[in-house]
Amino acid sequence: MNAAAVTLRGVAKTFPSAPPSSGTPSSGTTALAPTDLTIASGSFVAIVGPSGCGKSTLLRMIAGLTPPSTGHVERAEGAVGFVFQSPTLMPWATAQENCALPLALSGIDGSLAAPEALARVGLAGFEGAYPHELSGGMQMRVSIARAMVTSPRLLLMDEPFAALDELTRFRLNDDLIALWKQNGWTVVFVTHSIREAVFLAERVVVMSPRPGRIVADIAVDLPDRSPAARLSHAFTDQCARVSAVLEGAA
Amino acid sequence: MSRVLLPALFGILVLCAWEAAVRVMGVPAYIMPAPSAILAALASNAPDLLAGLAVTLEVTFAALILAVATGVLIAVLLASSPLAERTFFPYAVFLQVTPIVTIAPFIIIWVSNIFAVLLILAWMAAVFPIISNTLLGLKSVDRNLKDLFRLYGASRAQTLWKLSLPSCLPYFLGGLRISGGLALIGTVVAEMVAGTSGTRSGLAGRLLEASYRLELATAFACFALLSASGLGIYAALQWLSRRLLRRWHESAREEQV
Repeated sequence: MNAAAVTLRGVAKTFPSAPPSSGTPSSGTTALAPTDLTIASGSFVAIVGPSGCGKSTLLRMIAGLTPPSTGHVERAEGAVGFVFQSPTLMPWATAQENCALPLALSGIDGSLAAPEALARVGLAGFEGAYPHELSGGMQMRVSIARAMVTSPRLLLMDEPFAALDELTRFRLNDDLIALWKQNGWTVVFVTHSIREAVFLAERVVVMSPRPGRIVADIAVDLPDRSPAARLSHAFTDQCARVSAVLEGAA
Repeated sequence: MSRVLLPALFGILVLCAWEAAVRVMGVPAYIMPAPSAILAALASNAPDLLAGLAVTLEVTFAALILAVATGVLIAVLLASSPLAERTFFPYAVFLQVTPIVTIAPFIIIWVSNIFAVLLILAWMAAVFPIISNTLLGLKSVDRNLKDLFRLYGASRAQTLWKLSLPSCLPYFLGGLRISGGLALIGTVVAEMVAGTSGTRSGLAGRLLEASYRLELATAFACFALLSASGLGIYAALQWLSRRLLRRWHESAREEQV
């Protein structure tokens, strides 16, 4: 196994609840119970679970956007890319300007890297387009290109395709697999879709709510991740396995 | 086309009815001048009235520019800390709800330069919409975009210039359109209260003078010039707003046919 890209040791998150009116001391809401997780460098890990299971909180703590209440998050050296649930583009900026933002913030000229990243997500020729001129799927591609532009070692994705239609989602899934193979990223992909998780990831981490915790860690063995694999027996079997674990945990 | 034509036709109709009524009923010009008499007064006093208008507009634009600079600055400061907002925003509201006529006498006593007096009063009338709208815009910045800026280690200055200010531009421009009109109203009210007169006086002063002398046609001409200026300011700011937002904001997108 490769070196770890991310290591979580006893990481937990408690959000303070509203001030108690009755005078009983409140300990707050536990979004995530103490959790250990190691993600190998170069692997594609999906995190699935129902809403409220702490999967987004876990991802935000890996990104460093939310500090853990207890425990440590260790991340290997290298840039991090983050893709949000919505495209999160600046409406006043073109696709190219949006894509170049991470570089611009570090004072690096992105006039070459940004068009290249856009071309890699199939958006060559749309550099000058504004977000409202693009479809939902294309906006998401710009968002992925922006996450790629710094050549990250680690790509964190928070239900990035949840708002898209199924056809677009399948296409983006296929593209994501291809990009992952090309670039050797470590990908942590949060989703609530079992099928999406099984199709994309080598390893599916299943989480459960109240309190948020990891209930299963399943290695997915799919010989083939081409679009045709979605109809294969192996794929349906793996989905059934993860599904059974999820239902057992609920 | 009908957006211009219909209101214009209505205006011409009203003017014709006015002209006819004054002529038929033989109303004296010191009670109600006919539109033709107002036009004649405007033409014969043109150099004098335009000089007055220039004085008024000079104060108006200076006040508007000052309101933009200070309003945005105040909004940025208030947005930077909830404590600052809670402490100082009520005073911004106080500035807005206090009729400037009631403050004018104090300002006139404290400040000797008449231009400065007018400027202060017009600024007080114009600054609030800029503060409140810009503040609203600064507080409405997309949460995920803020996270993104944080993730890539953006400095406070970068976040302000590249994220907060562009996001609040539509809100700011909405406030600016209101402030443009208020700056003119503030200037006119200030001129009337300050009672400026002589060659350096603004159009409001001339309007009062003319009305004291019962030269109502001239007074009406002043009124028409001020109204036209107000409309012009609004149209110019509307144009500016559309130009700046055209490429990205819903409010200014050209309708697709």
